[in-house]
Amino acid sequence: MLAAIKRPGWTRGALGALAGAAFGFGLVISLRAISGLPLYQTEQTGYPHVVVPLILAPLGFLAGFGCFDYWLRWAAGAPTIPDDHSQHGARSWKDYFRFNTDHKVIGIQYICTTFFFFFVGGLMAMLIRAELAQPGTQIVDAATYNSLFSTHAVLMIFVFVIPVFAGIANYVLPLMIGAPDMAFPRLNALSFWMLPLAGILFVGSFLAPGGAFDAGWTGYAPLSTGAPLGQSFFNLGVQFAGASSIATALNFLVTIITMRAPGMTFWRMPLLVWANLSTSLLVVAATPFIAGAQFMVLFDRLLHTNLFQFASGGDVISYQHIFWFYSHPAVYIMMLPGFGIISEVISTHARKPIFGYRLMALALIGIVVLSYSVWAHHMFVAGMFSWLRVPMMLTTLLIAVPTGIKIFSWLGTLYFGKIHTYSTSMLFALAFIVTFTIGGISGVMLGMVPIDIHVSDTYFIVAHIHFVLFGGSVFTIFAGIYHWFPKMTGRMYDEKLGRVHFWGTLIGTWGTFIPMHWIGMDGMPRRVEDYASQFGNWNLMISCFAFMLGAIQLVFLYNMIVSWRFGPKAPANPWRANSIEWQVSSPPPIFNFDEIPRVVGGPYEYGVPGARHAIMAGEGADVPAAEPSVVGSA
Amino acid sequence: MESATLPIEHGHHGEPHGPPDANESSRIDKQTLGILLFIVSEVMLFGAFFASYFFLRVVVDPAAWPPHPYELPVPVAGVNTAILVSSSFTVHYALESIRCGNRQGMKLGLLLTWILGATFLFIQINEYAHLGFSARDLSFGSIFYSLTGLHGAHVFVGLMLLSFATIRAFRGHFGPDAKDHLGVEVPGIYWHFVDVMWIIVYVSVYIL
Repeated sequence: MLAAIKRPGWTRGALGALAGAAFGFGLVISLRAISGLPLYQTEQTGYPHVVVPLILAPLGFLAGFGCFDYWLRWAAGAPTIPDDHSQHGARSWKDYFRFNTDHKVIGIQYICTTFFFFFVGGLMAMLIRAELAQPGTQIVDAATYNSLFSTHAVLMIFVFVIPVFAGIANYVLPLMIGAPDMAFPRLNALSFWMLPLAGILFVGSFLAPGGAFDAGWTGYAPLSTGAPLGQSFFNLGVQFAGASSIATALNFLVTIITMRAPGMTFWRMPLLVWANLSTSLLVVAATPFIAGAQFMVLFDRLLHTNLFQFASGGDVISYQHIFWFYSHPAVYIMMLPGFGIISEVISTHARKPIFGYRLMALALIGIVVLSYSVWAHHMFVAGMFSWLRVPMMLTTLLIAVPTGIKIFSWLGTLYFGKIHTYSTSMLFALAFIVTFTIGGISGVMLGMVPIDIHVSDTYFIVAHIHFVLFGGSVFTIFAGIYHWFPKMTGRMYDEKLGRVHFWGTLIGTWGTFIPMHWIGMDGMPRRVEDYASQFGNWNLMISCFAFMLGAIQLVFLYNMIVSWRFGPKAPANPWRANSIEWQVSSPPPIFNFDEIPRVVGGPYEYGVPGARHAIMAGEGADVPAAEPSVVGSA
Repeated sequence: MESATLPIEHGHHGEPHGPPDANESSRIDKQTLGILLFIVSEVMLFGAFFASYFFLRVVVDPAAWPPHPYELPVPVAGVNTAILVSSSFTVHYALESIRCGNRQGMKLGLLLTWILGATFLFIQINEYAHLGFSARDLSFGSIFYSLTGLHGAHVFVGLMLLSFATIRAFRGHFGPDAKDHLGVEVPGIYWHFVDVMWIIVYVSVYIL
């Protein structure tokens, strides 16, 4: 028992969490006792004796779990012990439940955790659709409904879409650029372990008095500053998810800049690497804004500051400006890595070089730059400065240009390609192009001030956001999971089940979200559990398609689990792809490479006779050595 | 962030099964690049609070700023600014010393920096105690405490990083090679950022 307490792991983690919670509770109570205040403050926005432990318990868990052990030794000045790599790599399934510094293990940990929250959030969506199947209030009351759609959105955004991309990239990216691991493996592990804590905070808010947070995923002030305790769970969960995503982004950037294989210039990087480079730039520079916004709301709630209290000189609109200054770039954080995945999948399965490779990369950078200049298009009806409307409309329309470049480049890649439609990942990629284009066009519509004013807070918005986030991001996630499943697990998945999943998902997505455009145009408001009976038939149909969409995801789950366990062994390179991760075994060796490969050409030279992307150790003495790469070094 | 101050080990030579050494594709080392990117994200966090500050001051446009009965101790904070700015020079002195192999100079520089930083924090807490308004007094009080408090928290974090460096310096770590004193250089970069950020906070909150 004593050994279990000393060793980093779950026992010490649980004790750490308990100690953190107890310390926080004691701190609040004793400070209040000293100040002569009543010990417990239970106004709905208060509860310091709950909120402070909620901050310290996760930190205690992380410390107990072993996330800080090495750094604490370093900080105390102890001599560095040579790494015995005991925390690197998974030798049995138990290693996935430990603090592990191997980027491949962390990638799988990310993907499994995020898909867990995907299914939890999906169940909430099913409840929402069950309630909306008929006009009137049947299944959940208004307050629960508000909590459900808020939690659904927050789980899907903060602990599914954003981190699952980090998970896929965590697994694939170091292999792709020929690096043995990420730049900061311990920071990488810490980033992962903050994520489930954020998810637990979000889901745990259902236990709070007053119910889960219900101010939407946007948490607009002053709705959020006066909301019950659950809102504080949201504020804190966002901090953990945000810290996790900033740390990962920083890690990706340093890895991409400093650890590329010899010969891999910036213009030889696969587009997935480019996509994660640009996403990480967005995360590092934008995510602090949501951290700031949530800190301010927390201050207003807990310390009774007046940042958003109009009567005391506060400014309500400033919350929306600060929030959207993150959250508009955030929609690209949820999309750019998907663009990268689609580029890999389409080029590989169409057996053609990417059309306009450099322009594809530059378009990503263009989106990064432009995405900082469009935030206020979410606020056309918020009562912000009216002079800001037209500039924001113009930049919003402008940002469709680099996105359009990408769409047309994919079409150019497919043109006269040898398209492998039997592969599920390619099916998802092709469906993505169509679905995302529709979502993108409704986005351009929403960029126009008059149309936006007409459809603000209607189901048109819901339709648009789900077309780009489900039909866009989630389709790319499925494409990526199917594409790299053989590499990650060393097994092949069942293509037949994959196709069932694909067609079910495609029909379910279109059936669910296309009609929402129409009822939105007709004025059905979003975020309300009841609606005018004229929308009843459409909603019943939407709900039926939504249930089908939800049920078909179980096929995916079954396919993944059973194939991981019993699927046929995967060859190293089942898709005959060029990039480096496919040149090592499936799953890759524990340290990725015996020797760092040399990169001698572009990653997409499909169909070019004699073209090579990389030369692995022990082969290709006849190939000329790559010139050392200093392009892009700082 | 802490990891950026740490030497991350790669491949131990002589071990048959360790990872291969990563190729160094850039002249900048991981730790320095890491802390610079972290500072970018810190700047944006301050950006969020400055956005709030200028909304409350310029967009809401109250009759007087600071609102009537309240006053800010500009000279005291000015002295405090001088203290913090001078600590940037001492930490630079520590770095230059270890670059020339002068261990005593490094220790002295780090220790002085730490003391100056702690003095800054002490004076600021003292200032809070004597200001006469709290974070609950109008939006002015809220954003004043938010901004200066956010900066104070960063001074605290910087002091923690400097403590690690100081402890290690006194326990005989660090050397003149560039790779051997990253543990001084990286917290130093962060400390410079904290200083520069304070100048911006001081100018916008106290002087403008």
